[in-house]
Amino acid sequence: MLVVRPSSFVDLTSIERLLAATDARVTTLPKERGKLSEKIEQSTDAFANGVDQDGPASFLFVLEDTANNSLVGTAGIDTEAGSGYPFFNYRIDEVVHASHHLNVSSKVPVLFLSHELTGKTLLRSFAIDPDIKETEAFDLLSRARLLFIACLPERFQRQAIVEIQGIFNDKGDCPFWDAVGRHFFGIDFNTADYYCSVKSKTFMSELIPQHPIYVPLLPEKARGNIAQNHEAANRACQLFYREGFDKTAFIDPFDGGPVLAGDVMNLFTLKHVRYKKARPSDVVGGLKYLISNRSLNDFRCTIGTLVDGIGETIRIPLDVAQALNVSEGDAIAYAPL
Amino acid sequence: MYIRPVRPSDIDALCEMAKNSGVGVTSLPDNRQKMQTKLDKAVTSFNKEVPESERLYLFAMIDPSNDAMAGICALEASIGHDDIWYNYHVGKTVHASKDIGVHKITETLYLSNDLTGSSEICTLFLMPDYRKNQNGQLLSKSRYMFLAEFQQLFGRDIIAEMRGYSDDEGRSPFWESLGRHFFQMEFSDADYLTGLGNKVFIAELMPKFPIYVPMLSADARKAIGRVHPHTEPALAMLQAEGFEFNGYVDIFDGGPTVSSRIKNIRAVKESRLFEVSINDQAATADLSRKDGLTLVCNRRFEDYRVILVNTANLSESTLQLSTEQARQLDIKAGDSVRAVALRPQETHA
Repeated sequence: MLVVRPSSFVDLTSIERLLAATDARVTTLPKERGKLSEKIEQSTDAFANGVDQDGPASFLFVLEDTANNSLVGTAGIDTEAGSGYPFFNYRIDEVVHASHHLNVSSKVPVLFLSHELTGKTLLRSFAIDPDIKETEAFDLLSRARLLFIACLPERFQRQAIVEIQGIFNDKGDCPFWDAVGRHFFGIDFNTADYYCSVKSKTFMSELIPQHPIYVPLLPEKARGNIAQNHEAANRACQLFYREGFDKTAFIDPFDGGPVLAGDVMNLFTLKHVRYKKARPSDVVGGLKYLISNRSLNDFRCTIGTLVDGIGETIRIPLDVAQALNVSEGDAIAYAPL
Repeated sequence: MYIRPVRPSDIDALCEMAKNSGVGVTSLPDNRQKMQTKLDKAVTSFNKEVPESERLYLFAMIDPSNDAMAGICALEASIGHDDIWYNYHVGKTVHASKDIGVHKITETLYLSNDLTGSSEICTLFLMPDYRKNQNGQLLSKSRYMFLAEFQQLFGRDIIAEMRGYSDDEGRSPFWESLGRHFFQMEFSDADYLTGLGNKVFIAELMPKFPIYVPMLSADARKAIGRVHPHTEPALAMLQAEGFEFNGYVDIFDGGPTVSSRIKNIRAVKESRLFEVSINDQAATADLSRKDGLTLVCNRRFEDYRVILVNTANLSESTLQLSTEQARQLDIKAGDSVRAVALRPQETHA
């Protein structure tokens, strides 16, 4: 059975293995042991103390296959994008250049550096074993975070954002980076990406160009990639759109990928979530649901079959109860898959 | 050949000159009404009917054999008053991070009005038939004599905008990479409109934010501060007089602006006063040679004149002129003139 749970130190080497196997760019999870272990520590601290404290907290979940105790995915949430530092994006805006006298009028797209999304709820660090990427495990891992938010809504900003990876190829050629960031950072995309995950964010503030960028001055390929997602992120985009996320005027300053945003309380998962007391038993028939416990320190989420009805309690399959660590009478949350 | 201020009767000759000048000489639009306005401004400037900062001093080169106008040149007392004077300042943005060992200097173009209030050397045009016998030198440098004589009427600095690089078909790579995106017109059209004095459209259409140079095409980058091949001799002439690139370029073609303190211009600094004596035996100027020539002006404002004479006619304090030369300069024996070597290498002081 696949279960989402908080990460812990014992996951360190498994996460490293997973990151090595995934093609997706996971900038927020460093491929360097020391830094990765810091991330896990932050998360452990967040689950232990962060749930009832103010200030930035960074939660990291893992997806575990309980059949063989293997780790097959990671997903994270930051309560505040940037975690106290500026969160950088370009905002796509337009300026109108018009002359009545010459009968010329054109809207010129311009990229403005922005910190506007700093402090929003940030979904991040998503990585999944390629073998199960096209299964419902993908939805479980991604949406378990939304159920966690549902359990702790006062801890999160109403607006949630997610950065979708932009276009680059296997060799690390990224047309948007080459046309913009590279001029100022003097390094290729992969190196920049690596620094992003292992260095402090200070270098971003130091190197990112502060003046607005006129889009028509960029090469055609870079222009065309603005706010376009990598095809490896198609499934993620579809899932977020279904949840109620939309494209924004913001893009990633490195690869030009889109930033999606949604109002947390109006996301599909949070609108349809229901809370009841669990009664572990055999369940016959029913529909598949995302089911989680309501323990903030030992949060668990999995997929199981339920027959929804009236009343305060609901029967849940025994293996689900075991996976979620819930007994008779414990609170659970569930939302349609 | 001699230089004099323009006159109201010069209008036909001026329009003929504008027709000949073509693209690239923005200050000479082929448009009679505009040329008339320009001429009127110059005439009232020499009459001192307009404030000093608004004056345009337009000079004509006259062929004394037939009184034809061979060329024109001008001095603008102070730029950027009636309209807004735009340049790109070629500046730098530095990005550095000790953390990852990067230190990067990025050339950046900043739209600026910094040169407002400078004086300007502008509008030089010589008819093709007269491009010989040091006429270009005389025409261009006659202005330095005026500056030397009437420094108080000008700013501290004087600039000259040099025509920027364009290819054989008249395409400006700088324009293609930058201006075109905002103006949606050909370089020649934009150029023509500025020449007409219609600068409002620049403010309306020009990108206001700084431009990072690495984002321009390779050809455009190369064109920043580069003159048109035909303008290289003019640039060399200015440089020899002490003008230097001042870090500002034209917003359309990227051509450089060169500047100097007026008092530091070679011809201004080294010019001296002499007393005239008339001697019809005095050697005539050999205009086929580059050396041995001296610029002489009559020191008058409204009836300003400049000619070239043989340097050998100068002594410590006097200048010998033939009757014909004195007539062209409109002076008589005993008058005071200002003179300086036509070219820098042969200073006679």
